[in-house]
Amino acid sequence: MPGGRSAPPVRSIDPVAVVQLVARGVTKRFRRTVVLEDVDLAVHAGEVVALTGENGAGKTTMLRICAGLLRADAGTIAVGGGIGYCPQATGLFELLTAEDHLVMFGRGVGMSRDEGLRRGRAILAEFGFPLREKLLIRELSGGTRQKLNLALALLADPSVLLLDEPYQGFDHGTYVNFWDHCETWRGQGKAVVVVTHMLAELDRVDRVVELPAHPSRRAAA
Amino acid sequence: MRSLRRVLTMGEMHGRDLLRHHAAIGLLIVLPLSFYLSAANSNSENAFVAGGVGMAFSISGATLFSILSSREVDQRLVLSGYRPIELLLGRLLFLAPFGLVIAAGFASLMSAVSHPARPFLLGFAVAMVAVQAVPFGLAVGAAVPRELEGTLVLIGVVGTQLATKPDAVVSKVLPFYGPRQLIVAGAHDHGAIAWPFALTVAYALVLLVVARVFVARRVRIERHTELRPS
Repeated sequence: MPGGRSAPPVRSIDPVAVVQLVARGVTKRFRRTVVLEDVDLAVHAGEVVALTGENGAGKTTMLRICAGLLRADAGTIAVGGGIGYCPQATGLFELLTAEDHLVMFGRGVGMSRDEGLRRGRAILAEFGFPLREKLLIRELSGGTRQKLNLALALLADPSVLLLDEPYQGFDHGTYVNFWDHCETWRGQGKAVVVVTHMLAELDRVDRVVELPAHPSRRAAA
Repeated sequence: MRSLRRVLTMGEMHGRDLLRHHAAIGLLIVLPLSFYLSAANSNSENAFVAGGVGMAFSISGATLFSILSSREVDQRLVLSGYRPIELLLGRLLFLAPFGLVIAAGFASLMSAVSHPARPFLLGFAVAMVAVQAVPFGLAVGAAVPRELEGTLVLIGVVGTQLATKPDAVVSKVLPFYGPRQLIVAGAHDHGAIAWPFALTVAYALVLLVVARVFVARRVRIERHTELRPS
Protein backbone atom coordinates (compact mmCIF):
# COMPACT_ATOMS: atom_id res chain seq x y z
CA MET A 1 0.00 0.00 0.00
CA PRO A 2 2.00 2.98 -1.16
CA GLY A 3 -0.09 5.74 0.43
CA GLY A 4 -1.39 4.15 3.61
CA ARG A 5 0.65 2.10 6.07
CA SER A 6 -1.05 -0.60 8.10
CA ALA A 7 0.32 -1.30 11.56
CA PRO A 8 0.28 -4.94 12.65
CA PRO A 9 -3.21 -6.04 13.66
CA VAL A 10 -3.98 -5.49 17.31
CA ARG A 11 -6.72 -8.11 17.28
CA SER A 12 -7.18 -11.14 15.13
CA ILE A 13 -9.82 -10.72 12.42
CA ASP A 14 -12.06 -13.48 11.28
CA PRO A 15 -10.22 -14.54 8.10
CA VAL A 16 -13.45 -15.31 6.27
CA ALA A 17 -15.18 -12.06 7.23
CA VAL A 18 -16.76 -10.30 4.28
CA VAL A 19 -15.00 -7.20 3.02
CA GLN A 20 -17.40 -4.26 3.33
CA LEU A 21 -15.25 -1.39 2.12
CA VAL A 22 -12.46 -1.49 -0.44
CA ALA A 23 -10.55 1.58 -1.61
CA ARG A 24 -7.91 1.08 -4.29
CA GLY A 25 -5.38 3.58 -5.56
CA VAL A 26 -7.20 6.60 -4.20
CA THR A 27 -5.53 9.84 -5.22
CA LYS A 28 -6.75 13.33 -4.45
CA ARG A 29 -5.24 16.72 -5.18
CA PHE A 30 -6.46 20.13 -4.18
CA ARG A 31 -4.97 22.34 -6.89
CA ARG A 32 -1.25 21.57 -6.75
CA THR A 33 -1.29 19.96 -3.32
CA VAL A 34 -1.37 16.19 -3.35
CA VAL A 35 -3.42 15.14 -0.33
CA LEU A 36 -3.74 11.44 -1.03
CA GLU A 37 -1.66 9.39 -3.42
CA ASP A 38 -2.46 5.84 -4.37
CA VAL A 39 -4.02 4.93 -1.02
CA ASP A 40 -5.52 1.49 -0.48
CA LEU A 41 -7.84 0.53 2.34
CA ALA A 42 -9.95 -2.56 2.99
CA VAL A 43 -12.26 -2.97 5.97
CA HIS A 44 -14.07 -6.19 6.82
CA ALA A 45 -17.42 -6.76 8.47
CA GLY A 46 -16.88 -6.84 12.23
CA GLU A 47 -13.69 -4.83 12.05
CA VAL A 48 -12.85 -1.47 13.61
CA VAL A 49 -10.08 0.40 11.82
CA ALA A 50 -8.45 3.55 13.18
CA LEU A 51 -7.33 6.00 10.51
CA THR A 52 -4.50 8.10 11.88
CA GLY A 53 -1.92 10.53 10.58
CA GLU A 54 -0.60 13.97 11.22
CA ASN A 55 -2.60 17.10 10.45
CA GLY A 56 -3.10 17.45 6.71
CA ALA A 57 -2.38 13.78 6.02
CA GLY A 58 -5.77 13.49 4.30
CA LYS A 59 -7.76 11.49 6.87
CA THR A 60 -10.95 13.52 6.52
CA THR A 61 -10.51 13.67 2.75
CA MET A 62 -10.15 9.89 2.61
CA LEU A 63 -13.25 9.41 4.74
CA ARG A 64 -15.27 11.84 2.63
CA ILE A 65 -14.17 10.03 -0.52
CA CYS A 66 -15.19 6.70 1.02
CA ALA A 67 -18.57 8.20 1.94
CA GLY A 68 -19.05 9.50 -1.62
CA LEU A 69 -19.10 13.14 -0.53
CA LEU A 70 -15.94 13.92 -2.47
CA ARG A 71 -14.74 12.61 -5.80
CA ALA A 72 -11.29 11.06 -6.00
CA ASP A 73 -9.05 12.12 -8.88
CA ALA A 74 -8.06 8.50 -9.33
CA GLY A 75 -8.87 5.17 -7.75
CA THR A 76 -12.00 3.19 -6.97
CA ILE A 77 -14.21 2.60 -3.96
CA ALA A 78 -16.50 -0.36 -3.49
CA VAL A 79 -18.86 -0.92 -0.57
CA GLY A 80 -20.89 -3.86 0.63
CA GLY A 81 -23.89 -1.99 2.03
CA GLY A 82 -25.28 1.26 3.35
CA ILE A 83 -22.91 3.94 4.60
CA GLY A 84 -23.30 5.95 7.80
CA TYR A 85 -21.11 9.05 7.93
CA CYS A 86 -20.46 11.21 10.97
CA PRO A 87 -18.57 14.43 10.15
CA GLN A 88 -16.06 16.19 12.34
CA ALA A 89 -17.92 19.49 12.10
CA THR A 90 -21.49 19.45 13.29
CA GLY A 91 -23.16 20.56 10.03
CA LEU A 92 -26.72 20.73 11.37
CA PHE A 93 -29.61 23.18 11.06
CA GLU A 94 -29.08 25.63 13.93
CA LEU A 95 -32.75 26.48 14.34
CA LEU A 96 -34.18 22.98 14.21
CA THR A 97 -34.40 20.56 17.10
CA ALA A 98 -32.75 17.16 17.40
CA GLU A 99 -36.17 15.58 16.79
CA ASP A 100 -36.57 17.57 13.57
CA HIS A 101 -33.25 16.17 12.36
CA LEU A 102 -34.22 12.62 13.23
CA VAL A 103 -37.47 12.97 11.30
CA MET A 104 -35.72 14.57 8.33
CA PHE A 105 -32.87 12.05 8.07
CA GLY A 106 -35.24 9.18 8.82
CA ARG A 107 -37.41 10.20 5.88
CA GLY A 108 -34.36 9.97 3.63
CA VAL A 109 -34.10 6.25 4.30
CA GLY A 110 -37.84 5.72 4.05
CA MET A 111 -38.73 5.74 7.75
CA SER A 112 -42.00 7.15 9.01
CA ARG A 113 -41.88 10.08 11.42
CA ASP A 114 -42.55 7.80 14.41
CA GLU A 115 -40.03 5.21 13.33
CA GLY A 116 -37.28 7.80 12.85
CA LEU A 117 -38.00 9.32 16.25
CA ARG A 118 -38.21 5.98 18.02
CA ARG A 119 -34.97 4.69 16.57
CA GLY A 120 -33.18 8.02 16.97
CA ARG A 121 -34.28 8.38 20.58
CA ALA A 122 -33.02 4.88 21.36
CA ILE A 123 -29.59 5.64 19.86
CA LEU A 124 -29.34 9.00 21.62
CA ALA A 125 -30.33 7.46 24.95
CA GLU A 126 -27.42 5.04 24.59
CA PHE A 127 -25.10 8.04 24.36
CA GLY A 128 -26.64 9.81 27.35
CA PHE A 129 -28.81 12.29 25.40
CA PRO A 130 -32.34 11.31 26.40
CA LEU A 131 -34.04 13.89 24.13
CA ARG A 132 -36.54 15.07 26.69
CA GLU A 133 -36.22 18.77 26.00
CA LYS A 134 -37.07 20.35 22.68
CA LEU A 135 -33.96 22.48 22.47
CA LEU A 136 -32.76 24.03 19.24
CA ILE A 137 -29.42 22.82 17.91
CA ARG A 138 -27.82 26.22 18.62
CA GLU A 139 -28.70 25.75 22.29
CA LEU A 140 -26.90 22.40 22.52
CA SER A 141 -23.27 21.93 23.55
CA GLY A 142 -20.73 20.78 20.97
CA GLY A 143 -20.61 17.30 22.49
CA THR A 144 -24.40 16.93 22.42
CA ARG A 145 -24.51 18.05 18.79
CA GLN A 146 -21.92 15.42 18.01
CA LYS A 147 -24.06 12.77 19.71
CA LEU A 148 -26.86 13.76 17.37
CA ASN A 149 -24.52 13.50 14.39
CA LEU A 150 -23.58 10.03 15.51
CA ALA A 151 -27.25 9.09 15.88
CA LEU A 152 -27.97 10.39 12.36
CA ALA A 153 -25.12 8.26 11.01
CA LEU A 154 -26.54 5.18 12.77
CA LEU A 155 -30.20 5.84 12.02
CA ALA A 156 -30.44 3.56 8.99
CA ASP A 157 -28.39 0.79 10.62
CA PRO A 158 -25.60 0.99 7.99
CA SER A 159 -23.10 -1.80 7.33
CA VAL A 160 -20.23 0.66 6.94
CA LEU A 161 -19.66 3.37 9.56
CA LEU A 162 -17.32 6.23 8.71
CA LEU A 163 -16.66 8.35 11.78
CA ASP A 164 -14.50 11.46 11.61
CA GLU A 165 -13.34 12.16 15.18
CA PRO A 166 -16.92 11.69 16.33
CA TYR A 167 -16.16 12.16 20.01
CA GLN A 168 -15.31 15.89 19.71
CA GLY A 169 -16.70 17.62 22.80
CA PHE A 170 -17.75 14.39 24.52
CA ASP A 171 -17.35 14.27 28.29
CA HIS A 172 -15.13 11.51 29.65
CA GLY A 173 -18.00 9.10 30.34
CA THR A 174 -19.45 9.44 26.85
CA TYR A 175 -15.99 9.19 25.34
CA VAL A 176 -15.40 5.83 27.04
CA ASN A 177 -18.94 4.85 26.10
CA PHE A 178 -18.14 5.62 22.46
CA TRP A 179 -15.27 3.15 22.37
CA ASP A 180 -17.49 0.57 24.10
CA HIS A 181 -19.97 1.11 21.29
CA CYS A 182 -17.24 0.45 18.73
CA GLU A 183 -17.01 -3.02 20.21
CA THR A 184 -20.78 -3.41 20.01
CA TRP A 185 -20.74 -2.37 16.35
CA ARG A 186 -17.93 -4.82 15.74
CA GLY A 187 -20.13 -7.52 17.29
CA GLN A 188 -22.99 -6.49 15.02
CA GLY A 189 -20.77 -7.09 12.00
CA LYS A 190 -20.35 -3.47 10.96
CA ALA A 191 -17.22 -2.26 9.21
CA VAL A 192 -16.12 0.77 11.21
CA VAL A 193 -13.51 3.38 10.27
CA VAL A 194 -12.69 5.96 12.95
CA VAL A 195 -10.48 8.93 12.23
CA THR A 196 -8.68 9.52 15.50
CA HIS A 197 -5.74 11.20 17.16
CA MET A 198 -6.37 9.36 20.42
CA LEU A 199 -3.40 7.05 20.41
CA ALA A 200 -4.27 5.79 23.91
CA GLU A 201 -7.37 4.10 22.52
CA LEU A 202 -5.69 2.32 19.64
CA ASP A 203 -5.68 -0.92 21.60
CA ARG A 204 -9.47 -0.87 21.27
CA VAL A 205 -9.39 -1.14 17.48
CA ASP A 206 -8.55 -4.07 15.26
CA ARG A 207 -6.17 -2.29 12.97
CA VAL A 208 -4.46 1.05 12.66
CA VAL A 209 -3.93 2.60 9.23
CA GLU A 210 -1.63 5.59 9.24
CA LEU A 211 -1.80 8.02 6.36
CA PRO A 212 1.60 9.64 5.87
CA ALA A 213 1.90 13.24 4.78
CA HIS A 214 2.71 13.29 1.09
CA PRO A 215 6.47 13.75 0.36
CA SER A 216 5.81 17.01 -1.51
CA ARG A 217 4.30 18.55 1.61
CA ARG A 218 6.94 17.10 3.90
CA ALA A 219 9.61 18.69 1.71
CA ALA A 220 7.77 22.02 1.78
CA ALA A 221 7.54 21.86 5.56
CA MET B 1 -45.31 8.43 -2.56
CA ARG B 2 -42.03 8.15 -0.69
CA SER B 3 -40.62 11.00 -2.78
CA LEU B 4 -43.66 13.17 -1.99
CA ARG B 5 -43.21 12.51 1.73
CA ARG B 6 -39.58 13.55 1.50
CA VAL B 7 -40.54 16.77 -0.30
CA LEU B 8 -43.22 17.51 2.32
CA THR B 9 -40.75 16.84 5.14
CA MET B 10 -38.18 19.16 3.58
CA GLY B 11 -40.84 21.86 3.15
CA GLU B 12 -41.91 21.47 6.78
CA MET B 13 -38.35 21.64 8.10
CA HIS B 14 -37.39 24.65 6.00
CA GLY B 15 -40.56 26.35 7.16
CA ARG B 16 -39.69 25.70 10.80
CA ASP B 17 -36.15 26.89 10.25
CA LEU B 18 -37.15 30.12 8.51
CA LEU B 19 -40.00 30.98 10.87
CA ARG B 20 -37.60 30.77 13.81
CA HIS B 21 -35.44 33.50 12.24
CA HIS B 22 -37.63 36.17 13.83
CA ALA B 23 -35.37 39.13 13.06
CA ALA B 24 -35.01 38.03 9.44
CA ILE B 25 -38.79 37.74 9.06
CA GLY B 26 -39.15 41.27 10.41
CA LEU B 27 -36.59 42.56 7.91
CA LEU B 28 -38.32 40.62 5.17
CA ILE B 29 -41.34 42.84 5.68
CA VAL B 30 -39.62 46.08 6.65
CA LEU B 31 -37.26 46.17 3.66
CA PRO B 32 -39.82 46.41 0.83
CA LEU B 33 -41.99 48.57 3.05
CA SER B 34 -39.17 51.08 3.39
CA PHE B 35 -38.64 51.00 -0.39
CA TYR B 36 -42.33 51.69 -0.91
CA LEU B 37 -42.64 54.41 1.73
CA SER B 38 -39.56 56.22 0.49
CA ALA B 39 -41.23 56.61 -2.91
CA ALA B 40 -44.86 56.83 -1.77
CA ASN B 41 -45.00 60.63 -1.79
CA SER B 42 -43.79 60.89 -5.35
CA ASN B 43 -45.23 59.32 -8.46
CA SER B 44 -47.39 56.37 -7.37
CA GLU B 45 -46.11 54.16 -10.22
CA ASN B 46 -42.57 54.53 -8.90
CA ALA B 47 -43.78 53.68 -5.40
CA PHE B 48 -45.49 50.50 -6.61
CA VAL B 49 -42.43 49.46 -8.59
CA ALA B 50 -40.06 50.26 -5.71
CA GLY B 51 -42.19 48.37 -3.19
CA GLY B 52 -43.08 45.47 -5.48
CA VAL B 53 -39.65 44.87 -6.93
CA GLY B 54 -38.10 45.69 -3.55
CA MET B 55 -39.97 42.67 -2.24
CA ALA B 56 -37.80 40.61 -4.58
CA PHE B 57 -34.82 41.57 -2.38
CA SER B 58 -36.52 40.12 0.68
CA ILE B 59 -37.85 36.89 -0.74
CA SER B 60 -34.82 36.14 -2.92
CA GLY B 61 -32.59 36.90 0.08
CA ALA B 62 -34.50 34.52 2.35
CA THR B 63 -34.32 31.81 -0.32
CA LEU B 64 -30.65 32.45 -0.95
CA PHE B 65 -29.74 32.05 2.72
CA SER B 66 -31.95 29.01 3.04
CA ILE B 67 -29.98 27.22 0.35
CA LEU B 68 -26.50 28.48 1.26
CA SER B 69 -26.74 27.92 5.00
CA SER B 70 -27.67 24.26 4.61
CA ARG B 71 -25.10 23.26 2.05
CA GLU B 72 -23.27 20.75 4.27
CA VAL B 73 -26.47 19.22 5.59
CA ASP B 74 -27.89 18.96 2.09
CA GLN B 75 -25.11 16.67 0.93
CA ARG B 76 -25.60 14.43 3.95
CA LEU B 77 -29.34 14.37 3.26
CA VAL B 78 -28.57 13.15 -0.25
CA LEU B 79 -26.27 10.53 1.26
CA SER B 80 -29.18 9.45 3.46
CA GLY B 81 -31.44 8.96 0.46
CA TYR B 82 -32.88 12.30 -0.66
CA ARG B 83 -32.67 13.29 -4.31
CA PRO B 84 -31.40 16.81 -5.10
CA ILE B 85 -34.72 17.70 -6.76
CA GLU B 86 -36.54 16.79 -3.53
CA LEU B 87 -34.39 19.23 -1.57
CA LEU B 88 -35.21 21.93 -4.10
CA LEU B 89 -38.94 21.21 -4.27
CA GLY B 90 -39.14 21.07 -0.48
CA ARG B 91 -37.81 24.63 -0.25
CA LEU B 92 -40.08 25.77 -3.06
CA LEU B 93 -43.06 24.19 -1.32
CA PHE B 94 -42.61 26.38 1.73
CA LEU B 95 -41.06 29.53 0.29
CA ALA B 96 -43.51 30.09 -2.59
CA PRO B 97 -46.68 30.15 -0.41
CA PHE B 98 -44.76 32.10 2.23
CA GLY B 99 -43.82 34.71 -0.39
CA LEU B 100 -47.41 34.84 -1.61
CA VAL B 101 -48.69 35.55 1.90
CA ILE B 102 -46.27 38.47 2.25
CA ALA B 103 -47.19 39.64 -1.25
CA ALA B 104 -50.91 39.59 -0.39
CA GLY B 105 -50.38 41.72 2.72
CA PHE B 106 -48.07 44.09 0.96
CA ALA B 107 -50.34 44.51 -2.09
CA SER B 108 -53.30 45.22 0.22
CA LEU B 109 -51.32 47.92 2.00
CA MET B 110 -50.19 49.56 -1.25
CA SER B 111 -53.74 49.45 -2.63
CA ALA B 112 -55.17 51.03 0.51
CA VAL B 113 -52.58 53.81 0.64
CA SER B 114 -51.86 54.60 -3.02
CA HIS B 115 -55.09 53.58 -4.77
CA PRO B 116 -53.88 51.88 -7.96
CA ALA B 117 -56.20 51.92 -10.99
CA ARG B 118 -56.46 48.11 -10.98
CA PRO B 119 -55.86 46.89 -7.41
CA PHE B 120 -56.45 43.22 -8.18
CA LEU B 121 -53.96 43.34 -11.02
CA LEU B 122 -51.47 45.06 -8.73
CA GLY B 123 -51.99 42.26 -6.20
CA PHE B 124 -51.42 39.70 -8.94
CA ALA B 125 -48.29 41.55 -10.10
CA VAL B 126 -46.81 41.63 -6.60
CA ALA B 127 -47.62 37.92 -6.28
CA MET B 128 -45.65 37.39 -9.52
CA VAL B 129 -42.67 39.11 -7.89
CA ALA B 130 -42.88 36.56 -5.09
CA VAL B 131 -43.27 33.70 -7.56
CA GLN B 132 -40.21 34.89 -9.48
CA ALA B 133 -38.11 35.69 -6.41
CA VAL B 134 -38.05 32.13 -5.07
CA PRO B 135 -36.60 30.44 -8.19
CA PHE B 136 -34.23 33.39 -8.58
CA GLY B 137 -32.96 32.97 -5.00
CA LEU B 138 -32.67 29.22 -5.50
CA ALA B 139 -30.70 29.62 -8.74
CA VAL B 140 -28.31 32.22 -7.29
CA GLY B 141 -27.89 30.25 -4.04
CA ALA B 142 -27.12 27.08 -5.95
CA ALA B 143 -24.69 28.77 -8.34
CA VAL B 144 -22.54 30.92 -6.05
CA PRO B 145 -20.04 29.59 -3.52
CA ARG B 146 -20.85 31.74 -0.49
CA GLU B 147 -23.35 34.21 1.03
CA LEU B 148 -21.26 37.26 0.14
CA GLU B 149 -21.19 36.49 -3.57
CA GLY B 150 -24.88 35.59 -3.51
CA THR B 151 -25.84 38.82 -1.78
CA LEU B 152 -23.82 40.87 -4.26
CA VAL B 153 -25.46 39.14 -7.23
CA LEU B 154 -28.85 39.76 -5.67
CA ILE B 155 -28.18 43.43 -5.04
CA GLY B 156 -26.76 43.79 -8.54
CA VAL B 157 -29.68 42.18 -10.35
CA VAL B 158 -32.57 43.61 -8.34
CA GLY B 159 -30.85 46.98 -7.97
CA THR B 160 -30.28 47.20 -11.72
CA GLN B 161 -33.89 46.19 -12.34
CA LEU B 162 -35.03 49.06 -10.13
CA ALA B 163 -32.55 51.62 -11.41
CA THR B 164 -32.91 51.15 -15.16
CA LYS B 165 -35.74 52.45 -17.26
CA PRO B 166 -38.13 49.73 -18.45
CA ASP B 167 -37.35 50.35 -22.12
CA ALA B 168 -33.61 49.75 -21.60
CA VAL B 169 -32.31 46.50 -23.05
CA VAL B 170 -30.66 45.50 -19.78
CA SER B 171 -33.95 45.90 -17.93
CA LYS B 172 -35.71 43.58 -20.38
CA VAL B 173 -33.30 40.69 -19.84
CA LEU B 174 -33.44 40.77 -16.04
CA PRO B 175 -35.78 38.39 -14.17
CA PHE B 176 -38.15 40.94 -12.69
CA TYR B 177 -38.98 42.72 -15.94
CA GLY B 178 -42.23 40.77 -16.41
CA PRO B 179 -43.50 41.41 -12.86
CA ARG B 180 -42.46 45.06 -13.15
CA GLN B 181 -44.53 45.50 -16.31
CA LEU B 182 -47.48 43.88 -14.53
CA ILE B 183 -47.07 46.31 -11.62
CA VAL B 184 -47.11 49.25 -14.04
CA ALA B 185 -50.24 47.81 -15.70
CA GLY B 186 -51.87 47.51 -12.28
CA ALA B 187 -50.99 51.09 -11.36
CA HIS B 188 -52.78 52.46 -14.45
CA ASP B 189 -55.84 51.39 -16.34
CA HIS B 190 -53.83 50.26 -19.36
CA GLY B 191 -50.83 48.07 -20.10
CA ALA B 192 -50.17 44.53 -21.25
CA ILE B 193 -50.90 41.60 -18.96
CA ALA B 194 -50.57 38.40 -20.99
CA TRP B 195 -47.00 38.64 -22.24
CA PRO B 196 -45.46 39.93 -18.99
CA PHE B 197 -47.21 37.06 -17.20
CA ALA B 198 -45.97 34.52 -19.77
CA LEU B 199 -42.46 36.00 -19.54
CA THR B 200 -42.51 35.72 -15.74
CA VAL B 201 -43.59 32.08 -15.81
CA ALA B 202 -41.05 31.20 -18.51
CA TYR B 203 -38.25 32.97 -16.63
CA ALA B 204 -39.22 31.21 -13.39
CA LEU B 205 -39.09 27.82 -15.11
CA VAL B 206 -35.66 28.57 -16.59
CA LEU B 207 -34.39 29.67 -13.16
CA LEU B 208 -35.70 26.45 -11.64
CA VAL B 209 -33.84 24.41 -14.23
CA VAL B 210 -30.66 26.39 -13.49
CA ALA B 211 -31.15 25.80 -9.77
CA ARG B 212 -31.74 22.08 -10.37
CA VAL B 213 -28.52 21.75 -12.39
CA PHE B 214 -26.36 23.58 -9.85
CA VAL B 215 -27.89 21.91 -6.80
CA ALA B 216 -27.35 18.50 -8.36
CA ARG B 217 -23.68 19.36 -8.93
CA ARG B 218 -23.23 20.80 -5.46
CA VAL B 219 -24.71 17.94 -3.46
CA ARG B 220 -23.55 15.19 -5.77
CA ILE B 221 -22.76 11.88 -4.13
CA GLU B 222 -20.37 9.48 -5.80
CA ARG B 223 -22.15 6.16 -6.08
CA HIS B 224 -19.64 3.42 -5.34
CA THR B 225 -19.42 0.00 -6.88
CA GLU B 226 -21.34 -2.54 -4.86
CA LEU B 227 -19.36 -5.40 -3.37
CA ARG B 228 -21.09 -8.73 -3.87
CA PRO B 229 -20.34 -11.76 -1.69
CA SER B 230 -18.33 -14.23 -3.76
